[in-house]
Amino acid sequence: MVETFHNLLLGFTVALQPQVLIYAFIGCIVGTLVGMLPGVGPLAGISMLLPATFGLDPIIAMVLLAGVYYGAMYGGSTTSILIRLPGEAASVMTCIDGYAMTQRGRAGPALAIAAIGSFIAGTLGVIGLMLLAPTLANFALRFGPPEYAALLLLGLLMLAYMTGGSMPKTLAMAGLGLLLGMIGIDAMSGYTRFSFDVVELADGIGIVPVAVGLFGISEILLTASQALPELPKNPALRELMPSGEELRRSIGPIARGSLLGFMIGIIPGSAHIISSFVSYGIERRISKTPERFGNGAIEGVAGPESANNAAATGAFIPMMALGIPTSPVTAVMIAAVMVHGISPGPMLIAEQPNLFWGFVASMYVGNVVLLILNLPMVGLFVSLLRIPYAYLYPCILAFCILGCYSVSNSVVDVWIMLAMGAVGYTLRKLNFDLAPVALGLVLAPMLELSLRQSLAMSAGHYAIFLERPIAATMLGLGSIMLLFSLKPFFSKAHSDWRAKVGLDEVN
Amino acid sequence: MKSHAIALWLGILMSSSSGLVVAQENYPARAVTLVIPFPPGGVADTTGRPTGMALEKILKQPVALVNRPGAGGAVGNAAVANAKPDGYTLLLALSSISVIPAADALFDRKPAYAIDQFAPIALLSADPTILVSHPSLPVKNLKELLALAREKQGQMSYSSSGVYGALHMPMEMFLHHYKLRMRHVPTTGGGPALTALLGGHVELTGGGPAAISAHVKSGKLRPHVSWGASRHVNFPDVPTFKEQGADIEYYIWAALLAPRATPAPIQKTLRDAVRRAVADPDFKNAMARVNSPIQYMDAPEFASYWEADARRLAAMVKIVGKVEAKK
Amino acid sequence: MEAENASDSGRKLRSDQVSGLMLCALAVYVWWMNRAYPVGTLSEPGPGYVPLLLAIFMAVMGLLVIVCGGKSVPLAQLQWGEAGRAAALLMACGVAAFALERLGYRITMAAMLIFFLGVLERRKPVMVALVGVGFAFISYYIFATLLRVPLPVSPWGV
Repeated sequence: MVETFHNLLLGFTVALQPQVLIYAFIGCIVGTLVGMLPGVGPLAGISMLLPATFGLDPIIAMVLLAGVYYGAMYGGSTTSILIRLPGEAASVMTCIDGYAMTQRGRAGPALAIAAIGSFIAGTLGVIGLMLLAPTLANFALRFGPPEYAALLLLGLLMLAYMTGGSMPKTLAMAGLGLLLGMIGIDAMSGYTRFSFDVVELADGIGIVPVAVGLFGISEILLTASQALPELPKNPALRELMPSGEELRRSIGPIARGSLLGFMIGIIPGSAHIISSFVSYGIERRISKTPERFGNGAIEGVAGPESANNAAATGAFIPMMALGIPTSPVTAVMIAAVMVHGISPGPMLIAEQPNLFWGFVASMYVGNVVLLILNLPMVGLFVSLLRIPYAYLYPCILAFCILGCYSVSNSVVDVWIMLAMGAVGYTLRKLNFDLAPVALGLVLAPMLELSLRQSLAMSAGHYAIFLERPIAATMLGLGSIMLLFSLKPFFSKAHSDWRAKVGLDEVN
Repeated sequence: MKSHAIALWLGILMSSSSGLVVAQENYPARAVTLVIPFPPGGVADTTGRPTGMALEKILKQPVALVNRPGAGGAVGNAAVANAKPDGYTLLLALSSISVIPAADALFDRKPAYAIDQFAPIALLSADPTILVSHPSLPVKNLKELLALAREKQGQMSYSSSGVYGALHMPMEMFLHHYKLRMRHVPTTGGGPALTALLGGHVELTGGGPAAISAHVKSGKLRPHVSWGASRHVNFPDVPTFKEQGADIEYYIWAALLAPRATPAPIQKTLRDAVRRAVADPDFKNAMARVNSPIQYMDAPEFASYWEADARRLAAMVKIVGKVEAKK
Repeated sequence: MEAENASDSGRKLRSDQVSGLMLCALAVYVWWMNRAYPVGTLSEPGPGYVPLLLAIFMAVMGLLVIVCGGKSVPLAQLQWGEAGRAAALLMACGVAAFALERLGYRITMAAMLIFFLGVLERRKPVMVALVGVGFAFISYYIFATLLRVPLPVSPWGV
């Protein structure tokens, strides 16, 4: 323990040198700017800057990349809150209440709480990374296909908790998302499904063009001809920061979101997106005033943002301790550190403690610098909204095209984005909730694959899900949740808050 | 607006037909694009970046790396296959380039590209896969493994990087040769396949030397046999299938390719450039750091190597057949 | 997708009934498309298994939406006031997507912005030109030149 502390101190003395800090700032600024581009999230941001770090000192390179990483995540939240444009899958939930807050003139507090929540979650995540890395990494390995299938099923059942409007409509949208997720090569058999002979579709539809289209483009299509409500000119600093009341409301969601996100984050695979969905679902469920959700509840920003950030930090545990890339972002990070002659893995902490702790320290420095940088910039971001809408929306559309194109340098993604914009526009006209589409799309391929992998492992016996303790526990939990969400149908239906809110106002 | 558009189109047509003649004379006159058909961070990317940087120094023109991931490499491969053959669009291909057309034929899909749409420039690296097992499996060598697998015919399982993927093909070669049956658990890449084995969810997998070396050292994986023609430098104790009397061979290789119709003088320039690039100490260093030993072969030698490899793989894809139909 | 239901504005049709029908239609379409893929068995699901399940699920949900949709907004009351403009925006973006790899990023974006600001929004020509060209070139400089994002360039190098 003492040694751990000593090592960490050593890491910080390296990471806090002035020229290292300058790079941390550069990384955060570039990351934030890049992350504000729709479609360009942490993954693309790091990949873009990776070549630029080849010539740098390893610690500086890592600090720079950590800055880009955190900056890009925060940049994605910024656009979600200000213009309802999720830069990446994890920001989809932030869109809902974050944008609703913007419409009510509370963009400043929403941005601030996103930064504060991310910071706290990042801090807790780094502490967890430091203390628990080897232990948790071995636990994470126990997540095989059956556990993964159970976890994803749990995430889907959470939908029933999240619904704001009619349950069939929400579930239909989840079904639509799952169907979209069926497009592409079936990993088990090699069949290309529903690809309409477009080579690019063989890989499936990416979440980025879908999220940008469904949320961002549809918003522009809906509001193109209307004048937006005038925002207060020169808002005072007080109005940019969350009020005491708002801060009090956010404490619980941030704490729960951090814990939840961290636990989901260490599980190998790309299930991180469900951390923000689950966090939103929980906050809404335990809130005394669930009807505020969807209309600018600050808890709906604080919870998912923290969960998302904690999950990102949690994902570094299997990466550092086992050397296996558990998500696309960690794969790029592994490549980045390997280029500098550091190979993450079981031997790293033991053989090269200074590098491991240097990495931990630089991740944390990136997190701190982001907060210092972004809280003062909240005012600047909010004033972006004062650009006349007639000028703003064409530029947003141009950025959407640029961002979606650059995800994999393919026009097909731009076409998908535009098609999803039209679909999203129609569905919102017809009062459908769109968040389940995004969730379904992300979960479908993973759920199908892990289900069929499990059956391949057991030669077709479903008992595999009940024989394994972790999977069985999660499935049990899911069934209980399902029963609870069905309760209103059997008891007097009108005591439920859903009936009070009436038709869904979420979108 | 309309007449303007027509004028633009005419311009595009003209520039594309007249561009070739000019381009040959002082190639390269502008930036060269190196397409990497996989996402950043993978083998293709970690090989492509140092290659691009080394070529940049020699060609005295920027080499821009473009990741065009999708469909197991098919998207990026097809993009280069159909690119203008002027030497300004090159491909960093992995061995899976030979499998995709064979799989397309199997499923009656419109082929994304054909292998003969490419001209080989040079082979950059080639790594054999190595068969590894979870330490809980009570076998120490290939003989014991074979005995156990025969005893538990159809009950053992292995993970792969996906059907017809870089780790599926060698496993099928192995199983086919020894007439074994095992449960196949495909995943979405080399990383997840390794994770499944490390967690003990499957018993076997094939892995690249770079990916498995740390786990083998720490005792979390047990290596049994290599698909290489000779023993791997980092695993001198691991025998090859050939030593064990099985005529199977498999490599995951990375190579530089150009569109087939690229003019011969330009191909020559590129081959010379790669020959100098592989001698560049920076390049050697960078490749050593990412654990991919350089295995250089110039075009003629590489062409016959590739042909043999492609034939082996196509035959294997046919034998594996449609995964569903087999059942 | 949006065009059909705008035209058949039935007298007493509710919006949810129309959307429920659309969901059912989608389910049938997916089922039809899915016939090409083997369904497999319960213990060994094939590539067509999950899509078939989802198609059935969608059909059931579509029917439920129709049944529960009796109280939803009548279709005729839905406002489609901005639909024309939305279509124009989408069309323009579609043209831009088509032109992107042919005319290069800068020309396409400048043209698209000039169309939006000049034709749709009717702003002052000076501002239109300034924003359109400025945006195209500055964003190209930042992303393509500084951050090395490979953006398409026209055959003339712009």
